[in-house]
Amino acid sequence: MGENNHADEPIIICRDVNKWFGNFHVLKDINLEVQPQEVVVIIGPSGSGKSTFIRCINRLEEHQEGQIIVDDIELSHDVRNIAAIRSEIGMVFQQFNLFPHLTVLENITLAPRYVRRQARRNSDELALQLLDRVGIPEQARKYPGQLSGGQQQRVAIARALAMQPKIMLFDEPTSALDPEMIKEVLDVMQELAQSGMTMLVVSHEMGFAREVADRVVLFDEGRIVEIGTPDHFFENPQHERTKLFLSQIL
Amino acid sequence: MRREHSDTHFYVAPLEAPPSRRPPITTVGPLGWMRTNLFSNRMNSVTTVVMAGLAVWFLWSFITWSIESAQWAVVYNNLRLITSGMYDRKEIWRMELVTAILVFLTGLGLGIWSQIARRVFIAILLTLIVLLVVPIFGQRIPEPTIYSLVEPQKAPSNFVFIGLEDDEVTVTLDPLTDLDDTGLHYVGYIESRSRAEWSTQSRAATTGELDLSDYNLTGVVRIVDQAGNAVITPDGPVEMAFTSDPQTSTVTFTLPQDGWYIVEVVRDDEANGGRDNNLGYSWLTIDGVELFSSQEEPTQRREEEYGSPPAIEHALFAEEKAYRFDGTRTFGEFISLQISPFFNRIILSVIVGSAIFFNGWLIGSLGKRERTIRRSTLIGWALALPAVVIILRGFDGSRLLPLVSTAQWGGLLLTMLLTVVGITASFPLGVALALGRRSKLPVIKWTCTLFIETIRGVPLITILFMAKLIVPFFWSALSDLDLTIRMMIGVTLFSAAYLAENVRGGLQIVPHGQIEAARALGLNPFLTTTFIVLPQALRAVIPAIVGQFISLFKDTSLVAVVGLFELVGIVDAIVSGQPIYRPYQREAYIFIAIVYFIISFAMSDVSRRLETSGAGSLRKQQ
Ligand SMILES: Nc1ncnc2c1ncn2[C@@H]1O[C@H](COP(=O)(O)OP(=O)(O)OP(=O)(O)O)[C@@H](O)[C@H]1O
Ligand SMILES: [Mg+2]
Repeated sequence: MGENNHADEPIIICRDVNKWFGNFHVLKDINLEVQPQEVVVIIGPSGSGKSTFIRCINRLEEHQEGQIIVDDIELSHDVRNIAAIRSEIGMVFQQFNLFPHLTVLENITLAPRYVRRQARRNSDELALQLLDRVGIPEQARKYPGQLSGGQQQRVAIARALAMQPKIMLFDEPTSALDPEMIKEVLDVMQELAQSGMTMLVVSHEMGFAREVADRVVLFDEGRIVEIGTPDHFFENPQHERTKLFLSQIL
Repeated sequence: MRREHSDTHFYVAPLEAPPSRRPPITTVGPLGWMRTNLFSNRMNSVTTVVMAGLAVWFLWSFITWSIESAQWAVVYNNLRLITSGMYDRKEIWRMELVTAILVFLTGLGLGIWSQIARRVFIAILLTLIVLLVVPIFGQRIPEPTIYSLVEPQKAPSNFVFIGLEDDEVTVTLDPLTDLDDTGLHYVGYIESRSRAEWSTQSRAATTGELDLSDYNLTGVVRIVDQAGNAVITPDGPVEMAFTSDPQTSTVTFTLPQDGWYIVEVVRDDEANGGRDNNLGYSWLTIDGVELFSSQEEPTQRREEEYGSPPAIEHALFAEEKAYRFDGTRTFGEFISLQISPFFNRIILSVIVGSAIFFNGWLIGSLGKRERTIRRSTLIGWALALPAVVIILRGFDGSRLLPLVSTAQWGGLLLTMLLTVVGITASFPLGVALALGRRSKLPVIKWTCTLFIETIRGVPLITILFMAKLIVPFFWSALSDLDLTIRMMIGVTLFSAAYLAENVRGGLQIVPHGQIEAARALGLNPFLTTTFIVLPQALRAVIPAIVGQFISLFKDTSLVAVVGLFELVGIVDAIVSGQPIYRPYQREAYIFIAIVYFIISFAMSDVSRRLETSGAGSLRKQQ
């Protein structure tokens, strides 16, 4: 990060974001700016609003107060804005959410073909490249149900990448996986980070945060408690809550 | 044992994993299967024996009945009516063309997309073998008993046959008023239109309220030759007078030469106060006459030999349909008089149909990989329904395809048409209603809910009557639409409402994560619904949907009530409109029951296949 011209211009800007589920105040005055090519890892206890926050960024959830600006587009009720934003943001879910009735290849090419209107040949070619990149080129014709969890999650990453997004959101991508498979997914994510993708990752993989993240964010009870570089965050946490949290999970 | 156990207490597996072995064989042949499944314990054995006994008893009674005494002529003599109703006889080639097209497309489709062709082949092969072998067993019975009904409206009643010199012929009149003798109370039955009226009348006849002597036939039976001259035997001219005596009268005579003969029943117009009041009914039974085939080729040969038959009004010819079993039939008689005529009528169609099917299948399976063949098959199927309707209906004033109004369509044709139109129209409508019911826009949601709940709250028969009577009254433009089309609309709306609820069930089981993933990829709601939600939802409810279609197929029989002659309606019309078949309702209804069953069964078989086909991957994930 930092090398390109837009270094000073954040790609994601959140200003005083507030959100409620009914009367329940999930997000409280969230302020966060993410630079292009930056990798931000979000951690925090269960129910602290991490998922809700990153889902607000591609508007799977709506925030009620404050501003979220992604790549100079402010999220609003305008349907065209939402469509524009979504095709720039890829998302990977904890439960993979692959389409079980489509083959791996079809899962990956669906959006490029019908949203981007790519020719079938181009989208197929891109999909095969991506499968190669995530390390499972031989699984293209299989159905998701025939793959292991780790393979499914890598397909999900490839599917998100097929739309050539500027930003990737990960919501606990490895928590549904057996320990053996976590590494294969994290490797793919690390490679992605190195290639310069802007990434917002909710994760409890502290090793990953330490090694890959540019900054680490701690959420608690709907607010941001502390933001810091991994070194700072893990070696020298400032906030009591951070210290407590780290002592519980490390 | 103990040692082995202690051996595994501390254990390290050898470096090489052992090779995989096949699973052990658990069942040994049909006997083993029976032991484990049918006779595993006493209760099970008793159940098996009892159920098997019931099944055998039921089948045995049915088979003996259908061989020994059933009269299937009501079916095979009315095949045209049963298949196509009152469809214009001259235009029947259009039915054949349409059938050929559909059979060809089916073959093509199966050839391209399915592995089940083998089963279809075995079925066709078996049918062909049966069709070819059966006639070998069936030798003709030369002189079965023939009967005809003498009715007031059709005086005089004439029976036409070909006699050979020295044949001995017996003619018997058996008045229907002889209640004890027939055991069936024909009197009221024959004259009345409805069954209710019949049972009232026949009750009146038994209690003596109805004066049976009104129904006695008086007149004379004469035997004349082709020229209309009385036949003179050595004993004088054959003539038999019958009076109001309800006893059976018989006359036997020997024919003087070869040629056409006519048995004339001349009603006495003066009896019972004039012709219109002569209500006499009687069975006319004839023994010692050979039946002839009504098929084209034998007819030609016959006419070359004996000249064309006498042109006479209200004549019954000594064809197969005049045959009446008397008492118990042998298997040979069953084959020659019940099965052969049926097979004779369908064998050509079956052979031609099989050939067309096989052609289609061959092209399909050879051209499986050809894009053009696959595409044209799909297009063919897509165009099939409109093409069929256009060919069958034709155009007003056209020379090649003159109009055959849908009011004339009937029988299996109408049943299938109502079903296919119902299915193809109600499917998209049902899906739309299901989606509409889940819509975020309240007006759409309420409209769909109101529609679905209203239709589901009303019996189909009510909807059909509304389509027939009420809707055109409010909306005059609709009164010009013919009844068949209004019934199609009624059936479609009804089916769509139920389908919508089935589809909604499927929509509910698609996990929300699927929709989120699609939205996160930038798919708009339309694309999400089309590519992600519906395919999964529909696949999950295939059994329910097919079940719905099967009941739609069977429910089409209700249009008989509003006056259309589909399968049930036409059989009703046959057995009540043609007196000769009145005693054979059972056979007719059993036949259509079999037809309904075969088609329903095929539909649910297809459904089972769809569930387990490539799409089954849906299940593999969970
Ligand atoms: N659709 C919803 N309606 C109402 N409450 C919700 C909804 N989604 C989430 N919540 C609540 O909002 C809070 C934050 O949820 P969120 O899923 O963002 O937590 P999280 O930090 O991702 O937790 P976890 O680590 O367990 O995934 C939780 O208390 C949750 O119960
Ligand atoms: Mg979460």
